[in-house]
Amino acid sequence: MKHLINKDFILLQATASSQQGVFQAIADIAKKHGIASSAEAIIEGLKQRELQSTTGFQDGFAIPHTQTEAVVKPAIIIVRTETGIEWESFDGQPAFFFLSLLIPKSEAGSTHLQALSALSRALMDEEVRQSMLDATTNEQLANIVATAISGGEI
Amino acid sequence: MVKKKIVAATGCPTGIAHTFMAAEALKKAAEKMGVEIKVETHGQVGVENALSPEEIKEADGVIIAADKDVQAYRFHGKPLVDVPVSKGIRSPEELINQIVNQEASTYYDSDYQESGNEADKMEVDERDQATKQNRRWVHSIYKHLMNGVSHMLPFVVGGGVLIAVSFLFGIYSADPDHEQYNEFAALLNQVGGLGFSLMVPILAAFIAESISKRPGMVVGFIGGLLADEGGAGFLGGILAGFIAGYIIILLQKLLKKMPHSLNGLKSIFLYPVLGIFLIGIVMTPIIQPLTSLNEGLMDFLASVQSTNPLLLGLIVGAMCGFDMGGPFNKAAYVTGTLLLSEGNLYFMAGVSAACIAPPLIIAFATVIFPKYFTKEERNAGAVNFILGSTHITEGAIPFAAKSPLIVLPIIMFGSSIAAIMTYMFGVQVPAPHGGFLVLPVVTGAFQWVLSILVGSLIGAFLYGLYRKKAAHNKPMRSDQYETFN
Repeated sequence: MKHLINKDFILLQATASSQQGVFQAIADIAKKHGIASSAEAIIEGLKQRELQSTTGFQDGFAIPHTQTEAVVKPAIIIVRTETGIEWESFDGQPAFFFLSLLIPKSEAGSTHLQALSALSRALMDEEVRQSMLDATTNEQLANIVATAISGGEI
Repeated sequence: MVKKKIVAATGCPTGIAHTFMAAEALKKAAEKMGVEIKVETHGQVGVENALSPEEIKEADGVIIAADKDVQAYRFHGKPLVDVPVSKGIRSPEELINQIVNQEASTYYDSDYQESGNEADKMEVDERDQATKQNRRWVHSIYKHLMNGVSHMLPFVVGGGVLIAVSFLFGIYSADPDHEQYNEFAALLNQVGGLGFSLMVPILAAFIAESISKRPGMVVGFIGGLLADEGGAGFLGGILAGFIAGYIIILLQKLLKKMPHSLNGLKSIFLYPVLGIFLIGIVMTPIIQPLTSLNEGLMDFLASVQSTNPLLLGLIVGAMCGFDMGGPFNKAAYVTGTLLLSEGNLYFMAGVSAACIAPPLIIAFATVIFPKYFTKEERNAGAVNFILGSTHITEGAIPFAAKSPLIVLPIIMFGSSIAAIMTYMFGVQVPAPHGGFLVLPVVTGAFQWVLSILVGSLIGAFLYGLYRKKAAHNKPMRSDQYETFN
């Protein structure tokens, strides 16, 4: 499952200060590393999903995700912003830690979905969240996520 | 104190993240609170960690944290908390507390009023175990059927109306070799026909989908196509849907031992490949006898024509009304067409009458007894006026499929009356299709329409009275059928 996440998919200390900015940062990473064929389509997909209901949950975490044709290969992209951004989270706190799940349209019922659901489950664990917050390098964070999605946390 | 047991179901539209977050949050909270919990997830991979009827029965309460249908009817009679998925993530403790403190109200599935009576509320009691099991079984069959019917309906209406409109250009307007040929009408006929031809496959696909989700849908669709192409009609389609659904259930059981990590392989490769293979194996021998039955009936019909009109009308009416577009109906219809080409215009008149009557029975019933039909059904009923008037019998199928054992006999009875009267009046119809659009060329047009109306109205009254009885004389609430989605 290592290919779902690596250190290049992570952007710590991002300067984005709006939802649009966060999506732009995610889409840029996706485009640059061949995860997506079009940055615009990713931004649009993430926006659409956000319109259905917020992906923010608590303690500044949010999981903007989308499943569109523009995604070439499934990946987890992480963006951590310097400032909190209003995300209509459950606890009313602004979000700053974005774990974005990008899934190809054709990915129905694959093992990648299992991995992503494993990550979603892991995020409900306070210790996992804390370790993500504590991570200072891209490598550390990538390892934490890789452990979480390999099922270690289920 | 005995440990409380809770069952829960979570689901969200994308089925990737929140479904599992809510499941995890509930589990963690339950662990902390010393409550036993089992959470079923309705994710994109399908239903995982499914709840068994025993587990539901033993549970002290049910939590639904979902933004999609999680088949809540299973929880009939249980204390139930039903909230959006976000609430499951945000405040799992609160939800669990509602069950533990017995603040949750008991859930009664509205559909139970359909089949049962006041005694339903006693269902949760231990007694009448056998009947309870039985009724639940009947209920789930009904649910599966309804899922198929509600997905089929738009195809019938969309396709049927376009075909009907094409007949306005002339009954042979879609035939390039005929003088009536009109390019636009041919297009309407072709597009409409395409939509219409998907009716049986869609019915089968979504019966199977209701039983075993997406893997079942795939297999059901193929089974429906097989039934349709083999001439087994909508009854064959219903059969195919159920067989397909349970084929997947069977495969799921057989493949249970496979390692979890191969789940992806199962749904993308094993289920479709094995499922489609199996449905082909199972359906082929079933279709064969249906086809020969079809041929046998045709011979029989032609021979019966020499006997009295009453018997002929009864047989033709019953056949046309029995499966509306299936092998029996087609046998009568094809016999009529063949006899037409031999210059016998009488036989076809009865067949047409009997084919026109079923949709009109439905249409009149929804107009005369509007209170006992849902809004959706009333709209579909109005469309049936058009479908019936243009000899598109299939319009009645969605209504008949809801409770075939009762509605089919009513329709057969109405159709028979229409056919018998038509034969008694000696009406002659030279066109094999088109319904009332061919009236100008019908000999005895007035008697023909009269026959059809009498048969339809009698059928409509019977059907309406049945609906009234089924609803316990209580008018439908508008939301009653919403669970059928």
